[in-house]
Amino acid sequence: MKWRILLGTLAIVAVAGLLGMIALRERDRMAGFTQAYHARQIEVGAALFENNCRTCHGPQGKGIDGVAPAINAADLFNGQRLAAIGYIGTVEDYVRGVVAAGRPIPSAGTNYPNRMPTWSQRYGGPLREDQVDSLAAFIMNWEEQATGGAVSTPAAPGEVVGTDIALTLPEGNADSGQALAETLGCGGCHLQSTVGPAWQAEGTQPGIGGRAADRFAQPDYTGQATTADQYLFESIVSPGAYMVPGFGQGLMPGNYGGRLSKQDLADLIAYLLSLR
Amino acid sequence: MSLFRIHLPILDEIKAKGLKPALRDKADEIVTRITAGLNTAEVRGVLRNDPPGRPNPRLKPHDEGFWLHMRPTYYHNLLDGLYPTFRLGWLSTFFFAFELLTGVFLMVYYTPSPLVAYENMLNLLSNVPFGRLMRDMHKLGAELMVIVVALHMLRTFVTGSYKKPRQFTWATGVVLLGVTLILSFSGYLLPWDQLSLWAVTIGASMVEAAPPEMVGRTLNLLVRGAPEIGANGLLRFYLLHVIGLPLVGVVALGVHYYKVIHHGHSLPPGAEEVGVDTAKRVPMEKRTYFMPDILTRELFYVSALIALLIGATAFFYHAPLEPHADTLVTPLHTTAPWYFLWVQGMLKLGDKVLWGLIVPGVLTGMLLVLPYFEVGPSRRYGDRRVGLSVAAVAVCAMAILSYMGTPHYGVSTSADQEAIATLLPQTHPGPLRLAAWGELTVGSYEASAWASAPTASLQELLQTFNEDIQRVESPERTAVEGIMVIEDWQPGLKKITLRVLWTATATGQSGEYSQTAYLHRDSNYGQGE
Repeated sequence: MKWRILLGTLAIVAVAGLLGMIALRERDRMAGFTQAYHARQIEVGAALFENNCRTCHGPQGKGIDGVAPAINAADLFNGQRLAAIGYIGTVEDYVRGVVAAGRPIPSAGTNYPNRMPTWSQRYGGPLREDQVDSLAAFIMNWEEQATGGAVSTPAAPGEVVGTDIALTLPEGNADSGQALAETLGCGGCHLQSTVGPAWQAEGTQPGIGGRAADRFAQPDYTGQATTADQYLFESIVSPGAYMVPGFGQGLMPGNYGGRLSKQDLADLIAYLLSLR
Repeated sequence: MSLFRIHLPILDEIKAKGLKPALRDKADEIVTRITAGLNTAEVRGVLRNDPPGRPNPRLKPHDEGFWLHMRPTYYHNLLDGLYPTFRLGWLSTFFFAFELLTGVFLMVYYTPSPLVAYENMLNLLSNVPFGRLMRDMHKLGAELMVIVVALHMLRTFVTGSYKKPRQFTWATGVVLLGVTLILSFSGYLLPWDQLSLWAVTIGASMVEAAPPEMVGRTLNLLVRGAPEIGANGLLRFYLLHVIGLPLVGVVALGVHYYKVIHHGHSLPPGAEEVGVDTAKRVPMEKRTYFMPDILTRELFYVSALIALLIGATAFFYHAPLEPHADTLVTPLHTTAPWYFLWVQGMLKLGDKVLWGLIVPGVLTGMLLVLPYFEVGPSRRYGDRRVGLSVAAVAVCAMAILSYMGTPHYGVSTSADQEAIATLLPQTHPGPLRLAAWGELTVGSYEASAWASAPTASLQELLQTFNEDIQRVESPERTAVEGIMVIEDWQPGLKKITLRVLWTATATGQSGEYSQTAYLHRDSNYGQGE
C-alpha cells in the first residue's frame, strides 16, 4: 500500500508538472495554430479563386479588360479604389464584403459593365462564410506583391501589336518571353491541359513549339497562319481563329493584341518555340 | 422578547468541556459526517493500514454513505491480482467519468449549429487555454473507452461470469456497450469537419436501409432530421451525445453496479465447485477490505491514469480536425469509425438490409439474451470448449470484417487517383503537405527522374510518386508518366500540380488525371490537427 500512495502522489505531482508545462506553452501554441490556420485559409482561398473568380478577374487576379478589374493591384491595397467609391472601412472588410454580397451596380466611370455576383450563402450565393473568409485571406495575401512590385502600365495605343498576323516582328528573346509569360499568368491555364493546351511536352506529345511547327499544315486547321511563328501569333491575339481539339471557344481572353507590344509578342513567341 | 433566539450548541459545549476538547470533539463529528461513519482516529487507522477493530468500523461508510453504498465492502483476495478482472470494468467507469468531465469543459465552448460548430473548434484550438488538451483527452478517452468496454465484455464471456446468477448484469453490460459505441459515434459529428460528416453519413445510411421503405425513410428522417445531415441532424446528434445517451448510461451503470454488489464479484472459474457461486460467502481470512486496500489502489489508478492521459495528449496524440464539412465534396476513402468497420465490411458482402441491419441486429439480440440460453452450469475453461471456440472465431471474424471494412478491400478506385491520393490524401495531411516547404523548389519534375530532383524532400516525394504510378501501368494503360509541377503562386504560397498521364492501349488516346494543391509556408500540418 505504501508504494501505491507514493506512486499516486508522484503521479499527482507529474500531473501538476505537465499542466504547468502545457500552461507555459499554451500562448505560443494558440498563436501557432492561429497562424497555421490563416495559412490554410489562404490555401483554400487559392483553390476557390481558381474555380470561381479567375474566369473574370483573370489569372493571378490581374484582371481582364472589359470583364472584371484586377484585384492583385496596388490601387486596391493602397486605398485609392476605396477612396474613389467613398468606402471608409479596411481593405479586408471591403474585399470580404464585395465577395460575400457582390456589387449590385458597377462603379461609375469604369469599363466593367458586368456586375459582381453575390458569393456568400447568406446572400444567395454558393459559398459558406468560412469559404468567403478563405477567399478574403487569399486576396489579402497579394498585398505585398501588389504594392511592392512595379505598377504595370498598359502599352500605349500606337505600340500594341494588334491582330494582323502578317506583321513583321522584331527579334524575340526567349528569356524575356518566359518572364513575360509568368507576369501575364499564362501558366494558370497552360501548365496543365484542364483549361488550355499545356505548353510543356507531355507523353508522346511534343511541347507547344513542336506542335506549332506543323499544326498550321494539318487538314482541320481553320486559321490563316503559314508558319510556326504566325500560328503562335494568331493563337495569342485571335484565340478563336482555330480551336485545338478538346478545348472550347472563349476560354482564352481575346484582348492580348491590344495589350502586348510587338517586342513582348516576339519574346513570347521565341519562348514558346523553345518548348519542344 | 427577542424575535430570534440564536443558540450555538458549541458555546455550551465549550462552557462544559473547555475550549480544546470541545473543538476536538466538533472536528471529530464533522469528519465522521463527511466520511459517513469514520471518526478521526479511524481515518488515521485507515491511512496507516492498522488492523481494523471489531466490529469493523470501516464498513460503516458502505452502509451510511451514498458513494460507497455502490461498492462492495470487501473483495475475495483471489481478485487482488490482475487476473481475472484486468480492472476492465473499473476502467470503463473511470473513462465514463473522465469523458463526462472533459465533455462538460468542451460543451462550454460549443454551439450545435453547422454555421458555427467548426468555428468553435478553431476557437477551441486557437483561443482557449487548455482547449486542445481537453479536446485531445476527450477524443483519446472515447477511443480507449470503446476498447476497454469491448475487452470487458470479452473478459466476462471468457471467464463465464455472465452465468447464473449474473445474467441480468450481463444484459445491462450489453446495453452499456451499445451506449458507449453510440456515444462515441454521436460525438463524431460534432466538430462538423469532413471526417465527421462522412463517417456519420455512412453510419446513418444503414438506418435508411431498414425495410420496408416507409420505415427506412422515416427512421432516416428521425436520425438525420432531414434527408441529408444538416442543422437538425447536428442538433439531434448533439442532444443524444450530451443528454440522451449519458442518461441511459448512468441508469444502466447504476443497475450494473448494484448487481455487482448484490451478487459479489465472480471468482476465477477454477476457484469454485461447478455450479456453485461463493462470491458472497468469502471467509474472513480471504477478504480484502475496500477500506483501505481497494480505495488506495483506486486512488492510485486514478492519479496514474490521469498523468498518463495528459502525458499522451501533451506529447503524442492529437485529435484530428479536417477541413470544414462539405456535402458537395466526398473524400476518396470515407470509412465508418474504426469500431463500426466490421459493419462496413459486412456491407461489402452483399445485401444492405441483410448485412447492414438484420445480421448486426440479430447478433446484438443474441448477445443480450446469451446468458438466458447458454445455461451450462460450469464456468471452467475445460468444460466450455465450444463457447470459447465460438468467442475466438467471433474475435477473428470481427478482425477480418474490420479489415474488409477498410478501403484496402473490395473498393474499386482508379489507380491514377490512388497514386495522387498517396501524396495528397483528402483525409489526412499526407507526405506532400508535411514536406519541408522550403525544399519544394519551383520547377517541373518527372516522377521517373526522381533521382535528379534538386532537394532531398522532392526526391523522396517523387520516388513515392514514381512507385505509385507503376500501379497505373496495366494492359489497358501504357506509357504512364507522373509529373509534378511546382509554381510560385503568391508570396509564401506555392501551387503544386500532380499529374498522371497515360496512353490507352485500345484506342491510342492519351488520358490524364491531375490534382492541384496550394501550400503555404506557415500552414504547419505537422502539429496534429
